[in-house]
Amino acid sequence: MPTVWEQLNAELPPVVDRAQSALVQIRNGGQGFGAGTIWHADGLIVTNAHVIAGRGALRVALPDGRTLPATILASDPDRDLAALVVTASDLPTVELGDSRRVRPGQWVMAVGHPWGVAGAVTGGVVIGMGAGLPEIPRAHHEWIALDLHMRPGHSGGPLVDVAGRLIGINTMIAGPDVGFAVPLHVVARFLKRALAAPQRVRSR
Amino acid sequence: MTSVLQTLSQDMAATVEAAGPAVVRVEGRRRVPATGVVWSADGLIVTAHHVLSRDERITVGLPDGSTRPAALVGRDPSTDLAVLRADGGGLTPAAWASGDGPGVGQLVLALGRPGRSVQATLGIVSALGESWRTPAGGQIDRYLQTDVVMYPGFSGGPLVDASGQVLGLNTSALLRGISVTVPAATVRAVADALLAHGHIRRGYLGVGAQPVRLPEALAGQIGQETGLLIASVEPGSPADAGGLMLGDTIVALDGHPVHHMDDLLALLGGDRAGKAVPVRVVRGGQVQDVTVTIGERA
Repeated sequence: MPTVWEQLNAELPPVVDRAQSALVQIRNGGQGFGAGTIWHADGLIVTNAHVIAGRGALRVALPDGRTLPATILASDPDRDLAALVVTASDLPTVELGDSRRVRPGQWVMAVGHPWGVAGAVTGGVVIGMGAGLPEIPRAHHEWIALDLHMRPGHSGGPLVDVAGRLIGINTMIAGPDVGFAVPLHVVARFLKRALAAPQRVRSR
Repeated sequence: MTSVLQTLSQDMAATVEAAGPAVVRVEGRRRVPATGVVWSADGLIVTAHHVLSRDERITVGLPDGSTRPAALVGRDPSTDLAVLRADGGGLTPAAWASGDGPGVGQLVLALGRPGRSVQATLGIVSALGESWRTPAGGQIDRYLQTDVVMYPGFSGGPLVDASGQVLGLNTSALLRGISVTVPAATVRAVADALLAHGHIRRGYLGVGAQPVRLPEALAGQIGQETGLLIASVEPGSPADAGGLMLGDTIVALDGHPVHHMDDLLALLGGDRAGKAVPVRVVRGGQVQDVTVTIGERA
């Protein structure tokens, strides 16, 4: 009979695997790279607007090793979200969760490329969710506040729950111990608008 | 199949939800509101002293979204605790932990309500210890340090264990850079004192003193190696009235040995204020007892 600790240790890596399967690297012409999350198997990728800021050619490195040029479908700097398209099909995706039912104290994991370490994971609990959280910029927007060690390079990567379901996009940090993610339902709303009427479509 | 990880995650979220009704928002400063814990259903709330920058116009935000004015019952900067009385009753008191308390390494949650809804951070018990004295002179029953993140507005909020019981009040102000929890027993003692007197009673002697080594012969006779040499006596103070003199060395108070200044401070607790107690001193090489009526420091 395995101990609870051993069971936890057996259960955690598959959750990370699921999150990483949808994680991409976004290269912006400069040094280093940000993170992105595959939303749809046919090449729709979501990330933060700040990750694609700049003038360099956008390229997306997929989990299977391919690196493809990307086109900006839409970008919303205020909400810090961007939608990219790459020409590909059958991309691995992550199951979508229900970010409206996020509860303070629940366990979550965030993957990304902190300080350029590809695919690194951090785990912790949800501090709270909603608008009006204390001491964050653009507090009128909905955020998921996170008690985990998010770092530059996590931005744009997936935040998943214990079942490995996507519940948010890692976006911002406030000190070494607190991170913020855009809740999934906000991302979905953004993508719906973007697909209906692509804004500021640019290719580089 | 439900995994252990899912169960743990659900248990933690459920614990937050179960403890949440006793966690209130405290608005008593200009910046981010802080947190308080419901002490009794009739409106008493315990919180951190340092989150109240004013004594009036304090409001509390309840879990149902309503706000109520609250009066400051009293505050104790030395333990960073304060008690408020919110208008009206019908509050949900916290379940305070009794018994052995947590063990080092156990998972705990810090809760706060700086906004409308309850929030949580996860950590482990980092260190436990005996009773200690804060830099401001407060007596705390037990040292309890965690590595929980003190999210803005979490001071005055509860540290809860796996059963949802409140282990104490978290504060980031007692020790710099460390999340310290004032244990439930201290919260109870300070809250009782604040309710009875509006402040923490502290005994007062009126001497300046420094620890000295006793002569060997005397040390053997008294059974201790150090005492407190009186370097000054405040005129009109309890020490002056009781006949303590410059050059006396205090070796015991009310039957308890006095080796260091800390011993004396600990013995000058509120319960001795106003009482006549024997003070054993070494005067001119002789041990003698002087009776001093301990004063009270306002």
